[in-house]
Formats: sequence, C-alpha cells, structure tokens
Amino acid sequence: MRKIYIQSAEQISIQKPLCDEWMDAPELYDGPYTRSIDPNFKQYLSPTESRRLGKILKRALVTSVEAIRNSHTEMPDAIITGTGLGCIENTEFFLSALCNDGEQLLKPTYFMQSTHNTISSLISIHTGNHGYNVTYSQKGMSFDSALLDAWIQLQMSKIDSALVGGHDEMTPSYFTLLQRIGYVGGDMQGVCGECAVSFMVTADATDGMCQLGGIKMLYHPSADMLRNALSALLTEAELDEQDIDFVMTGVNGKKSNDEVYDKLVETLFPDKPLLRYKNVFGECYSASGLGLYTAASCLKRNSIPEFLKYGGIKSKRDDPRNILMVNQYENKMFSFIILKSACCK
Amino acid sequence: MSEPILITGAGIVCAIGLDKTEVLHALLSEQTGIKPLKYLKTTHKEFPVGEVKLSDEEMATKLGIASDAPTTRTSLMGMMALEEALTEARLNRHDRESNNVAFVSGTTVGGMDKSEQYYNDFLANDSRNAYIATHDCGSCTEMIADHFGGFSVITSISTACSSAANAIITGANMIQAGITDMVVAGGSECITKFHLNGFNSLMILDQNNCRPFDATRAGLNLGEGAAYIVLESASSAAKRGVRPLATLSGYGNACDAYHQTASSPDGEGAFRAMEEALAMASLQPDNIQYINAHGTGTPNNDQSESAAMRRLFGNAMPFVSSTKSFTGHTTSASGSIETVICLLAMKHRFCPVNLNWQNADDECVVPVHQKLSDIALHHVLCNSFGFGGNDSSLLLSDINL
Amino acid sequence: MDDLILELKKQIIEVLNLEDVKPEDIDDDAPLFGEGLGLDSIDALELIVLMEKNYGIKLKDPNQGKEIFKSVKVMADYIKNNRTK
Repeated sequence: MRKIYIQSAEQISIQKPLCDEWMDAPELYDGPYTRSIDPNFKQYLSPTESRRLGKILKRALVTSVEAIRNSHTEMPDAIITGTGLGCIENTEFFLSALCNDGEQLLKPTYFMQSTHNTISSLISIHTGNHGYNVTYSQKGMSFDSALLDAWIQLQMSKIDSALVGGHDEMTPSYFTLLQRIGYVGGDMQGVCGECAVSFMVTADATDGMCQLGGIKMLYHPSADMLRNALSALLTEAELDEQDIDFVMTGVNGKKSNDEVYDKLVETLFPDKPLLRYKNVFGECYSASGLGLYTAASCLKRNSIPEFLKYGGIKSKRDDPRNILMVNQYENKMFSFIILKSACCK
Repeated sequence: MSEPILITGAGIVCAIGLDKTEVLHALLSEQTGIKPLKYLKTTHKEFPVGEVKLSDEEMATKLGIASDAPTTRTSLMGMMALEEALTEARLNRHDRESNNVAFVSGTTVGGMDKSEQYYNDFLANDSRNAYIATHDCGSCTEMIADHFGGFSVITSISTACSSAANAIITGANMIQAGITDMVVAGGSECITKFHLNGFNSLMILDQNNCRPFDATRAGLNLGEGAAYIVLESASSAAKRGVRPLATLSGYGNACDAYHQTASSPDGEGAFRAMEEALAMASLQPDNIQYINAHGTGTPNNDQSESAAMRRLFGNAMPFVSSTKSFTGHTTSASGSIETVICLLAMKHRFCPVNLNWQNADDECVVPVHQKLSDIALHHVLCNSFGFGGNDSSLLLSDINL
Repeated sequence: MDDLILELKKQIIEVLNLEDVKPEDIDDDAPLFGEGLGLDSIDALELIVLMEKNYGIKLKDPNQGKEIFKSVKVMADYIKNNRTK
C-alpha cells in the first residue's frame, strides 16, 4: 500500500476555530444545540468575496485556504467534500420564500448557493483549481465517503494529494426538524453542533500530522463482515490487532446511537481503551471529519487529553501510535479508519 | 487501466420511456418527451418539461410499494431504473450479497418534492415527520438500495448536473482499486418546484422547446428521470458468464473553476474532462465517432462546450448531438440517462438526432440534425457539466473491438 | 429623482449584501458592473428581481440588464419611465 499522510487539518466548529486550544481548554456545552464559533472572516476574505457567502461557505473556504497554507501542497490534485445537508441555510431561505410567498420574485443567489457542490466549487474557483472535484452526501457517512474516494485515488496514484473536507451547518429551524426524527434531541445527553474541517491528504511525508492507514465502509454488514473488514484493514495498514492503542467511537450521549457503539466495542474491541470526540465537537452529519481531526491532533501532539477518554479500560501507554476510528449511522452504515503516528514505518 | 471495466446491465426511466425499449423507439422515431407540465403542481405552466409519464402512485403500484409508505419521486424513479439494470445483469439479491456489490447514486434535490409540499408542517407539527427523514440525498439512495437489498456499500454524489456521471466514475475507481468487482452506478432526479423556480430565477429556462446549439437557443427545458448501469470487472463478468454491453474505457473529471453558474468562454473544465477521458483510454480525438453533448440549450453552455470540443477535436469533429431535446435536462440523472442512450445508439448503430436545430451559430458546432443510421459507433463520449464547473466526461467503447 | 436615486442605492446595498458600502460611496454615474462596484451576472439577476418587486417592472430578457444597469442614474431613469408601482 502507498503511504498516505495527513499533512494539515483546520477546523471551525463549536470549539475555538483554526487552532488546537481545545486540547488544553475545551469549551463546555450543556446542549442541546449550539452554532460554531466563527473566526473574524474579514481577516481572511474581502467584502466582495464574502458578501454572498453564507456561514457554511465562508467556513469551508477559510478552513480550506488555511489547510492548504499550512501544508506543502499549493495546488491539491483533488478537492473532495462530504456534506450531509449541503448549504441548508440557503436551501431554507429559498424554500421558505417558495412556500410562503409563492413562485414569484425568488432570489437567484439563494438557489445558486443552495446546491451541495457549491462548497467544493467555491474552493476551486477561489484557488483556481482545475483538478478532480466531487461532493458526497450520505448523511453520517458523507465525510467518510469523501475520504474513501481520496484514499482510492491516492492508492492508485491517480492523484498525489487531495483537499478533503467535511462541512455541515445547523440552522435553528433544521435542528427542530432533526429533533422531530430523533437524530438529535430527545434523551440525548450531548450537544448538536456544526462542522467545517479541511485536510490536506497526501503521499508527501513532509511534516505529516499522522499517517492515514486505510478506510473501509460497509452497509448493513453482518457481524462476520464487520470482523472481516476490520481484519483486512489492519492487514493493509500493516498492523496486528494488538497494535491498536485506542479505539475512537462516535458516542454522542444519545442512547440509540451509543448502544450501537457499545455493542461494537463489546464484540470487536473488548479490551481496548476508548476515545470519544462528540463530547467536545458535538453531533452533526459530517462530525466524523472532526473525529479524524481529533485523532490526527492527538497523534501529532503524541498525547491524548483526558476528557477524550471513556470506558473502563486504561491504556498501557499515553503516547498513541495507532488509533482506530469507528463511525456508524443508524446501525446501517459503518466505517473503520486507521490513523498511525507519522513516524511509524 | 489495469483491467477493462465492462457495462453488463442498464436501466432507464425518463420522459421518452419507462425502459430501454421505449426510449429506443422514441429516439429512432424522433419523438420528444418534452410537453406541457402535467404532474408537478406549479403555477409556472408556461415551461415545457420532460416529465416521466407516471404519477407517484402509478410508480409505487408498479413497484409493489404500499400507497401509504413514505417515498419520494426521486426514489421511485430510481427503483424503476435500477430494477431494469439488475435484471439485465442477472444480479438477484443473493448474487449481490455474494459479490459485495456497491451502489453509488447521484442526486441533488433528493426528496425535495415532498419537502416543498410539507416544509411548513415540518416546522409546525409532527404530521409529516416521515418526510423530514426522506429530504436529503443519502436517504433517497438508501430507499432505492433497500428496496432491493444486498448492497455492501452505498453512497451518494451530489455535483448538480454531473452527479450521475461522477457516480459512474467513482464506481469505476472502486473496481480499479480492487474494493469490489461490481458497482451499480447512476442517478435519479425528479422535477421539483424548488429547482424549476431556481432555474427560472436564473432566467435560463425556455418557454419553447429547447434548441441545443441553435443560434436562436434561449434556454433549457427541465426533465426528470433515472438511469443506472452495472459496472463490472472483466474477470467477474467472465466468471458469471454475462454478456457485456460495452466497455467504460475512459473517464475524466475536471473543474472549470470559473463561476458558480456560468461556464468559461473557452470551456476549460469541459476540455480537460474530455482530454482526460481520451488519455485514460489511450485514444486520439479522431478515434471518437460520436459525442452525446451536455447541450442544455442555454446560450452559455452550448457556446462553452462547443469551444471545448473545437479545442480538442479541431478538424476531426465527431458527430455531436444533445438528447436533452428529447428528455429535457434531467439534471443530476443526466450523466447516466445519456450514458444509457449512448449504449442504445452503439448497439443499434445510429446517432440520436439533435431535435429542433435549424440555425447555425458561428460559436457552436453543427449537431446531427437529420437521421443518421447504419453507423458504427466504436468510441463515444458522453458529457455532463454541473453548476460550479463540475465537468465530467465518460468514454464508452464497443465491446467487440 | 434624487429621492429615487438614494432609495435605489439603499436597495442595491441591501439586496446585494454590500456590507461595507454606504449610499454616499456609490457615484450616480459610476459603472455598476465590471469596474465601479464590480457586480456580476448574478447581481444583475438580483437587480431584475428588485425592479419587479419594488417597481413592478418585469424584464423578460436578462441581456436587457446590460443597458439598464449601466449606472444608478441610468437605472433610476429607466425606473422613472417604466415603473408601475
């Protein structure tokens, strides 16, 4: 397998943006819902550029530009984005005008900025990037799908670098809707947030935060299929089961969600120390991108903040070498991602 | 490419037919499916559209879905097209499970046909919660996949009008990378008030039937539909003893990086996408016999796409036509709908006509505007260009080469 | 006429989200597109909506915008002569 690295990662979320101060002093939330802490966009975008851009677009652009700036790759070969709801705020502006004011005098800007691929194409327009450009939208597996695409093409040497992003916004009205269908809210002891995270994923080993060891995605898998996928992933990442120091899950304080992870852990990782990230970054469809960011940040720093650890198993080591990320959605869609320390052979 | 990627099944639903047989008949008899609005409940009756000629209820009945089960029009059309593709490829549930078949579908509006009816209910009460859950792209893909079952990986691509084409590219990459031997890929999109009004606000809809590449062209007609193809590695097809329809011998994806809704005057993204497809297939421009153009009928697209084609093909311009004059612009599904149309053209040895073309435009290629049959199409390009400059091109090759 | 011009400038600023621009910053005769305010084709579409919504003027062809939106003064003249609201 070709060695692949995460060279840079930038986020705007419910934690302090564009930095890793959250690792030392995270913002704490009671829930149920909060919006991201935005940087001063005027520092990054001119008024002409940003006047039409809603929050999700500004965040995507700034995290992307910063991820590129902090990498060794000026022009990535691909820009691949995952977003569960797309530009939902603009969608809602257009939709509510349509529903309440009728089919006349509708604003073209809202429509134009409502399609999911507005995010990816904005980044390409801003950076003059003519490379491969695709957007995935598969609910809780949106970011994972984008990462899988990048991984596949990097392994085949079709590309040498990819800017991979996970972006989702949560308007107050859409939070209400998602509560109605039980994705968030209800008995959830956790917060629902927003996500903007961009990674430079590359075959260039220079100054990597960590290595990307591999990714697998599954749909409606049996227990055996999960076990086999995990085994194949470990083999491809040149690891044994005992090399995994930590397993990071997507527990978010909602019973129906956490039960699935508890069962996975019981079956596949009964003796592994566990990590979580949604207690810090909240839940949203592309939250797995923030999970990857969390794991990559820990590997870069070579330590793990205590507040990420949960479960009864204590780690034999504080410095993580290999972290396995598990993501699941509605007990139907699953992904495994392995991250390794950059200095691992 | 390491191993050829074969197409072993195809299914289609659109304004000119509910399956390949009906679509072929319409293409050969030059019968457009673009008509006055019938199914979509909108005040904008002035725009002709390419609607699938079935109501949601009729589609559900055909599929054996209970009338009170929450579905979306996008999902229903997708199920119909997928059924035809799976049948042709001889992939029942057991076959899908034992071959780790993946499903990649392109859509942008997803379940918006229901959301735009019930949005105020979504906000105010619990009466339409089932349709909150069907709103997004991924949910539609899930509904289509779950109607049949047995898929080992699913995902959705949303790149506006190139979604289905990009789904096919991702599927091909998955096979090339050895993730699986089979991927069913394509897309589905129904007409909604949301994007009918959206396109109207951009002032790119024509109140008359569209005239791609014509000097008097004034905009596009929206269409709807779904199509899926079964992509399969050569070794898997041989093992299963299935007869391929064609080879997917190349593909390209490039970004125009110019504007969110307009295409660049020199068609840079389109040019790069087509060039990449040719390079992957190790072919030269003069190896291409036919291009199924994106050809929406807007002043901008047709000029930009023509510029790109002229840059690439120069004096070796293949036959070009836009079949959006038959189906309307089926947006996210257009890449796969037009791929299936290309497969029909290759099998039955004809070039689909570019309907309604009469006046040459210096800035545009002259498309096929009269019957052109008994012609061997060895290599065909199929273009799909999305808002935001997401430009993709697929290269299909005759299986007998 | 001056009232209309001022009103129009305020509406343009609002509809096009020109956050840091005040009416006094926009010269009556300065080009709106290309140079000057540097507006583009999407802005032209928004101005077409503005004209219909606020002044009852319906433009069928987006290309008409090139002439009508040359400057605020030209736009105001057109509105004065064609408004139905």
